[in-house]
Amino acid sequence: MIGSLLRVDLLKIKRKGLWFLTFLGPIGVVALQIVNYGVRKDYLLQQSDDDWLYYLDWVHSFTPLALVLGIAILTSSMASIENETNAWKQLMSLPVRKMSVYLSKFTVLAVLLLVSSCILMVAAAGLGMYLELGPEIPYAHLLQISFYPFFASLPILALQLWVATVSENQGIPITLSVVSFILAYSAHSLPDWLIWKWPTLMNSWDEPLVSAFLGLGVGAVLYVAGMIDFARRDVR
Amino acid sequence: MSFEVIEVEYIVETKQLTKKFGKETAVDRVDMKIPKGEIYGFLGPNGAGKTTTIRMLLGLMRPSAGTVHIFQQDMQKHKLHILKKVGALVENPSYYPHLTAYENLEALRKIIGCEKSRIYEVLDIVRLTEAAHKKVKGYSLGMKQRLGIAAALLNKPELLILDEPTNGLDPSGIIEMRNLIKSLPQQYGMTVLISSHLLSEIDQIATTVGVVAKGKLIYQGSIESMRRYSQQKVKMRVSQGDRAWRSLIASGIKAEYSDDVLILQEDADEKIAAAVRTLVRDGVSVYRIEEEKRSLEDVFLQMTGKEGIV
Repeated sequence: MIGSLLRVDLLKIKRKGLWFLTFLGPIGVVALQIVNYGVRKDYLLQQSDDDWLYYLDWVHSFTPLALVLGIAILTSSMASIENETNAWKQLMSLPVRKMSVYLSKFTVLAVLLLVSSCILMVAAAGLGMYLELGPEIPYAHLLQISFYPFFASLPILALQLWVATVSENQGIPITLSVVSFILAYSAHSLPDWLIWKWPTLMNSWDEPLVSAFLGLGVGAVLYVAGMIDFARRDVR
Repeated sequence: MSFEVIEVEYIVETKQLTKKFGKETAVDRVDMKIPKGEIYGFLGPNGAGKTTTIRMLLGLMRPSAGTVHIFQQDMQKHKLHILKKVGALVENPSYYPHLTAYENLEALRKIIGCEKSRIYEVLDIVRLTEAAHKKVKGYSLGMKQRLGIAAALLNKPELLILDEPTNGLDPSGIIEMRNLIKSLPQQYGMTVLISSHLLSEIDQIATTVGVVAKGKLIYQGSIESMRRYSQQKVKMRVSQGDRAWRSLIASGIKAEYSDDVLILQEDADEKIAAAVRTLVRDGVSVYRIEEEKRSLEDVFLQMTGKEGIV
């Protein structure tokens, strides 16, 4: 059942601009570095001994914001597909489990974000090579800044999807996304336990992996909570 | 499963079905019975609880109390199994405006799992074949409604539930829809539940009706017996009305009297004949005897608690 639901959800996001956003996000993040290094490459190269690491950290500095923004737009577009003509009732009067419907939506969003992360990795590596930062590409660090933020932001995705699917008033998820964005913007001054800090991969242990694992764990909890709540409610 | 066919086989059977929203009771102890092969007209004014009942039949809402059995199976326990054989159009049609009609149906077909050719079949049934590859965004309300019906027919349902299906259709569309719905039980052995707030609509399609008002099912039975309600009164215009009335009462015939007109609640031929005989015997001139036909509309309004405006 879940396979066909996934295929259906992929069909439904056609012409909705979700794929476009998926590509725009990471390319935008890397494009900022094209500008940054285009304008003051010599200065930036002087700042550090390891040009690659320094460059990747610059790339990463914009990733959390792009991710949070991307999650907000993707989830609200995703929910709007069903909300627009209240297609939930049509979908749920088919022989499908509510939980599978929710899982399918979540999976599609997670896949889109994962695709974004892959594009980020390729684009970041490509620009780095173009900038001739050195022959040794630090693959471990590249993978880290490309994929850890994805895992670390899963709780935000789970929360946003939950709110977007169960709110009758779409003002609520929009408010949440604005708040999310502000929190992500000021992530540096947030305490460790707030999920909006995690995509920055900064924490008091100074270990990015902690943020990624926390994201995965708390994301799973929030996902399950959202799914159960979604299944429990009457269909609008 | 084997059972004697002495009892009527009910495709839909609810017992004491109730739905409360906070303190408000939207559906109140409804015992709905829909026999196989019938077109069941579910009639009631706006806000009477029709859509809420239908939502519970489809498992979209959980009843506050009572049970729903469809195909003689408990909805709570066998929901997915039941829904495989049910097609539904609830309230306003749902669709994905950025997709074409074909893609809309394809999105449903992938879940239902029928053959692709079925999409063109149902599009043909509702006459949308030509617009199949246009985005639904640009459809007229009637076309969207027809697409909704196509979606409901996609899985060749044994039970078709249509909530106000003629909303937004033009007169020719309504007639077409009516003919289509009428043909379904014979052609495909479907049982149809169609809801409407318009009696005239139900009157022309349904074989069985259920009338709901303020959440309660106040009438359920064949449309013929409902129609019988509507032909009860016989009016007589007579001379000496007062005396005529007395002599009728004296011979045990119930009648009302006002302005030289006697109104008899009886409508059996023999009773009327007896009344006339009595009047003639007592020397009363009978000028007119007429049957006062209350329209079904009046019956409906009376049932649902509003006074008919004559």
